[in-house]
Amino acid sequence: MSEKNGFEPKIIGFLCNWCSYAGADLAGVSRIQYPPNIRIIRVMCSGRIDPAFVLEAFKDGADGVLVAGCHLPSDCHYISGNFKALRRITLLKKALAEFGIEPERLRLEWISASEGDKFATVVRDMTEQIKKLGPNPFKEMEVKSQ
Amino acid sequence: MANQKIGAVLVIGGGVAGIQASLDLADSGFKVYLADQAPSIGGVMAQLDKTFPTNDCSMCILSPKLVAAGRHPNITVLTNVEVAGLNGEAGSFEVKLRKLSRYIIEEKCNGCGICAQKCPIEAIDTFNEGLSNRSAIYVEYPQAVPLKYKIDREKCIGCGTCYEVCKAKAITYDQKDSEATLKVGSIILAPGFEVFDAKLKSEYGYGRYPNVVTSIEFERILSASGPYGGLVLRPSDGEIPKKIAFIQCVGSRDYQLGNNYCSAACCMYGMKEAVIAKEHTPPPLNAKIFFMDMRSYGKEFDAYYKRAQGEWGIQFVRSRVAGITEDPKTQNLFVHYVENETPKTEEFEMVVLSVGMQPPKNAEKLAESLGIKLNAYKFCETQAFSPTETSKPGVFVCGAFSGPKDIPESVAQASAAAAKAMEVIASERGTEVAVKEYPPERDVSLEEPRIGVFVCHCGINIGGVVNVPEVVEYARKLPNVVFAEANVYTCSEDTQKLIKEKIMENKLNRVIVASCTPRTHEPLFKETVQEAGLNPYLFEMTNIRDQCSWVHMHDAKEATEKAKDLVRSIVAKAKLLAPLKKPLINVTPVALVIGGGVSGITASLSLADQGFEVHLVEKEPELGGQLRNINYLLEKDSDPKEKLSSLVEAVTKNDKIRVYKNAEVVDVYGFVGNFKSKIKQKNGEEKEVEHGVVIVATGASEYKPSEYLYGKDPRVVTQHELEEKLASGTFEAKTVVMIQCVGARNDERPNCARICCGQAIKNALKIKETRSETEIYVLYKDMRAYGFKEDYYREAAIKGVIFVNYDDERKPQVKAENGKLLASFWEPVLNEQVEIEPDLVVLSAATVPNPDNKKLADMLKVPLTKDGFFLEAHMKLRPVDFATEGVFLCGMAHSPKYIDESIAQACATAARATTILSKKTLEMEGIVANVSEDLCSGCRICEYLCPYGAVEMKDKEGKTVAHVLEALCKGCGACGTACPTKAIIMGHFTTEEILAQVKAALVEVKI
Amino acid sequence: MEKNEPKIACLMCDFVFCQEETHAPRNVKVARVSCIGRIDPVLILEMFEKGIEAVMLVGCKPPDCHYVDGNAQAELTVNILKKLMSLVNVEPERLKLLWHSPTAKKSFNRHLTEFSDKTRKLASLSPKNISADPDFLVNISAAKRVAADFRLRVLLGREKELTESVNVYGEKISFQEFDKLLGEIVQVEFIRQKIHVLTSVKPLSVKALAEKVELKPAVVLNHIVNMRRKNMIAIDHVDGTTPFYKALEVN
Repeated sequence: MSEKNGFEPKIIGFLCNWCSYAGADLAGVSRIQYPPNIRIIRVMCSGRIDPAFVLEAFKDGADGVLVAGCHLPSDCHYISGNFKALRRITLLKKALAEFGIEPERLRLEWISASEGDKFATVVRDMTEQIKKLGPNPFKEMEVKSQ
Repeated sequence: MANQKIGAVLVIGGGVAGIQASLDLADSGFKVYLADQAPSIGGVMAQLDKTFPTNDCSMCILSPKLVAAGRHPNITVLTNVEVAGLNGEAGSFEVKLRKLSRYIIEEKCNGCGICAQKCPIEAIDTFNEGLSNRSAIYVEYPQAVPLKYKIDREKCIGCGTCYEVCKAKAITYDQKDSEATLKVGSIILAPGFEVFDAKLKSEYGYGRYPNVVTSIEFERILSASGPYGGLVLRPSDGEIPKKIAFIQCVGSRDYQLGNNYCSAACCMYGMKEAVIAKEHTPPPLNAKIFFMDMRSYGKEFDAYYKRAQGEWGIQFVRSRVAGITEDPKTQNLFVHYVENETPKTEEFEMVVLSVGMQPPKNAEKLAESLGIKLNAYKFCETQAFSPTETSKPGVFVCGAFSGPKDIPESVAQASAAAAKAMEVIASERGTEVAVKEYPPERDVSLEEPRIGVFVCHCGINIGGVVNVPEVVEYARKLPNVVFAEANVYTCSEDTQKLIKEKIMENKLNRVIVASCTPRTHEPLFKETVQEAGLNPYLFEMTNIRDQCSWVHMHDAKEATEKAKDLVRSIVAKAKLLAPLKKPLINVTPVALVIGGGVSGITASLSLADQGFEVHLVEKEPELGGQLRNINYLLEKDSDPKEKLSSLVEAVTKNDKIRVYKNAEVVDVYGFVGNFKSKIKQKNGEEKEVEHGVVIVATGASEYKPSEYLYGKDPRVVTQHELEEKLASGTFEAKTVVMIQCVGARNDERPNCARICCGQAIKNALKIKETRSETEIYVLYKDMRAYGFKEDYYREAAIKGVIFVNYDDERKPQVKAENGKLLASFWEPVLNEQVEIEPDLVVLSAATVPNPDNKKLADMLKVPLTKDGFFLEAHMKLRPVDFATEGVFLCGMAHSPKYIDESIAQACATAARATTILSKKTLEMEGIVANVSEDLCSGCRICEYLCPYGAVEMKDKEGKTVAHVLEALCKGCGACGTACPTKAIIMGHFTTEEILAQVKAALVEVKI
Repeated sequence: MEKNEPKIACLMCDFVFCQEETHAPRNVKVARVSCIGRIDPVLILEMFEKGIEAVMLVGCKPPDCHYVDGNAQAELTVNILKKLMSLVNVEPERLKLLWHSPTAKKSFNRHLTEFSDKTRKLASLSPKNISADPDFLVNISAAKRVAADFRLRVLLGREKELTESVNVYGEKISFQEFDKLLGEIVQVEFIRQKIHVLTSVKPLSVKALAEKVELKPAVVLNHIVNMRRKNMIAIDHVDGTTPFYKALEVN
């Protein structure tokens, strides 16, 4: 498994506009350094994040997916979108194994607008963890099937 | 003839109250000048970590308001400004302002921050309460509005470095203080408060012992963006404390210091800080709060208190701390206090002083230059029936300047002050505001996507790390991109012109800016593309500063690659963007007010005075509600009976207000701007009215106790009944026992009824006034005489009223034996059970919600609390709004409260309602859900999921399908995600757009 | 060279070098530089780090500098260097600035000999002693970073202008005032850089750092707070009630 050493995972981050995206902004403003592996997709609410988006991301070759929203219970700008995300992503994590994807590749985090540090830490941890897991098994399957 | 009135308002103070007042005014057709002494708005709330009782992140909920105020076309934010003088009268003032120099040309400063990075001098960071340093050129905090730097002239040595590094040429060292005169119709004061200087309480060792900190310092310590990154550390050695003491009432309820008043918010914030400290501390934390009375009197506050004790395991000690000493070796602290008459000492690793609120430092100067009166404590003087009016007509007040208070009350008062300010100049609505005209929108539906990409250097903030020319080159080669270029600052005025030119020249029909965050800059660019005839939703943004150059500073190559990925990803989305219409809905400029108590009447009058029609519906045969039971006030500043009759008269005489007595609202249909309701009158007649807003003011009433022989023995009465006796002169008793918290703060009703402590003090003082020999015992759990009411509590104690504390384990008992009424209770000072024979037992009974609330809540599709009161949209920042647009809430229907608080909320609903009623049409956000009716299976999942009630089911050719009420949809997208047949399309965040964005982020395109 | 002869470096400005025939003792190594005003203070500190016992700078006597103000700049550099040297426990007298005058040939060589003699009397800074004092390496590398710091360089670059003329507000700053400020900044930066050097070896707690830098823990914590703000340091882990900090890479 030596090829894992040079492996730089690609992570897709779905961030809600009001808290988590603002948290990522604060990481920027505070110049908190984290690995450049994440690509952020802004949505208005974590409740908008369809499990299908996550699956598509894995299909397109993402090695990890982060879903981040406002803290439970009441930070959500849309009252309860975070609860919806919690239910959907928790279920999806269970289902992932059946697709042959390690559930650790999908993370759900609550990150507030003042948690720039937390955002950076999550990205750091996730990058590390996925480096250990190696590339998304989908990608390898595709390579094989070609 | 009086001076011509002016449709503009000056708001002094840019904290959360000033911001709220400004937004309400600006949204109602008035020009607003929002002035603050500080270099940015936000006030103390910006410094807080979390807010009680929901533990919401303070910055998360405040920053959208900051941005809204900063970007509002009708609000001019003036910072570093002092008031120098006032001329004129209500409706037509001339205010002289002094603008202190920033040494920065605000129009040019982009807030890029390179100056602060290069500045060689450090200064104390006051935003972090001195726990860290900042540069001599600075912004107060990263989210500051306006994001304009300022030179700290005290610290700056004048080396000229910032001038040299500033690419925007915004630094000017010879800027002088300047004066300006503003013409406004009314003025709102919201200068907030100062925290008490804890050094004055020298026995607590603040300033001498490093591990004694103030609560505001502790807020910064708790904050994830604070000095310690959110980890609780001892300032003496950076260790995580295992044991923290919180000391309440530091600088409050302290007669010797001259601050006899209660600061009203500290009990709750003390608890909150203890709770959050536990959350932020990895090893188990022992937190103990030393308090005199736990004043958790607000909505749902006692439930929080209970959780703090139970779930969170905070310990509470009822004691005033006598002093603190330090172990010089460990720098631990010994807290000396008396509990149950026994002196005790306990060692802690850290102590937090819950410091009180003081009037702002410049209060006297401000009062003098404006000609308004201050009270004995130098807060702004107001009266119970006019809580937002100063002694000078046309000048209004809100927030902590009129007395210590928490955020929701400040916000409600702010809206109230806005309503009062509008009333003065209602005739001038719309005269001072500019309506922006855009050119006709170009139809791009038949055009191939032609994308223009503008990549920002942000001075050197982006360009110093990311290879911007390379990104531009890359963008040019992406599919559908027909134009790409780099700008030094894409947000500068001249670049806006340039973007418009490039749109025209290149026939662009999609525009992308790759720069900073859309959270602050998207509205600007949307406006720009709209000015060039493009639909604003054909604009997109990607953030290559906060997500690339600033967070991968040491890896220019990777940062550049990531920037390219982000651009490629957003180009893929932009290709699919569709123009969206901002739905316009008509507004019926009429209000329906449900409930004719003091709240309903006040709201109706405020709206009618501004020229709006009102339907006021009262269930009872008479107007007045609970005010009819009130004979005199604790504050004694006005006669409630007289006020009631003048209010009723004003309503009756006002031809804009249609009063329905003995009537009920039986049906409400429609949505914001367009409601239709049925009012059923006594005679059975039903009348349908059309209206644009609903104000719920259904009140509450005194609980009829089942405890303490009430109803069985005529010598046991409630406070209301006692008041009636006192007013009618039928009171007679030598010994009176008052029992607090009857029917409140128990299992059935866990929350405090808020007004009974004040009632007890009021009635006790009234008894003492006429029959000073009467013995009065007040048996209480916590005397919640918050704010200036503390003065009356003290007065009662001085006049001989005996206050005896009890707890749930040892409740007082009342029995009748041989015709005698006996009351027994535990006397904690004597440490024994006492039995006395009162002539009268007075029960301070809870306030219970209106039993009709449930019915009305269902009709309006709005929620109730567990206790049965109405639940507002957000406990902190939207105290009088419901989540359902166009429906508002005030008075005791919200929770128990005093008259001045009900009046403030009532006026607040008027201001909030005016933001809708003052418009002919409402322009809604274009990002809404749309139902593809052919695909819809009518499963109703979306209807159930929508927190705003924006989805309704309708019949379409015999099939039930979902229909989105665009007026109510907030665009969160939760319904679209849940829809099993994918029949719901989320505007601007369609599934196709998001998936294209994801795919392009991951997969290189072949160029 | 004799065994105990201290190694001494003499940096001489080009113009002096051309005019001089130096008869330096064998332990003195003479090198020419274009102008001593342009000498990087980091270079001098590196010399001490590598076991040079003393450094002498020789330049043109003011106001004769070929580069107009090189000699004045040299004075400022030496001033800062002496501040740093005392912080790293290298006696400031190991650095000497000498103004050369073409009319006093003899005295120049005598100066060199005197300097060499004086240095001999000081305890040796030789590599052997350095390894006996592990703090020295930490100190010197912290001092080097201070000398390379932008903040300090800005001040150094503007000192003359600010103290001799007026600042951007048209105010005059006295040399004493400026020197005091400079002293404070050098000290603060030195401690922070030292903390940075120490924590780049392994994560350390506030208390451990306080012992190493011989300051109160409260002061160290304050430095850490400000270093965090500048992304020089971050929490590595928390052990019980003690957070440990590690240095972050800075560019």
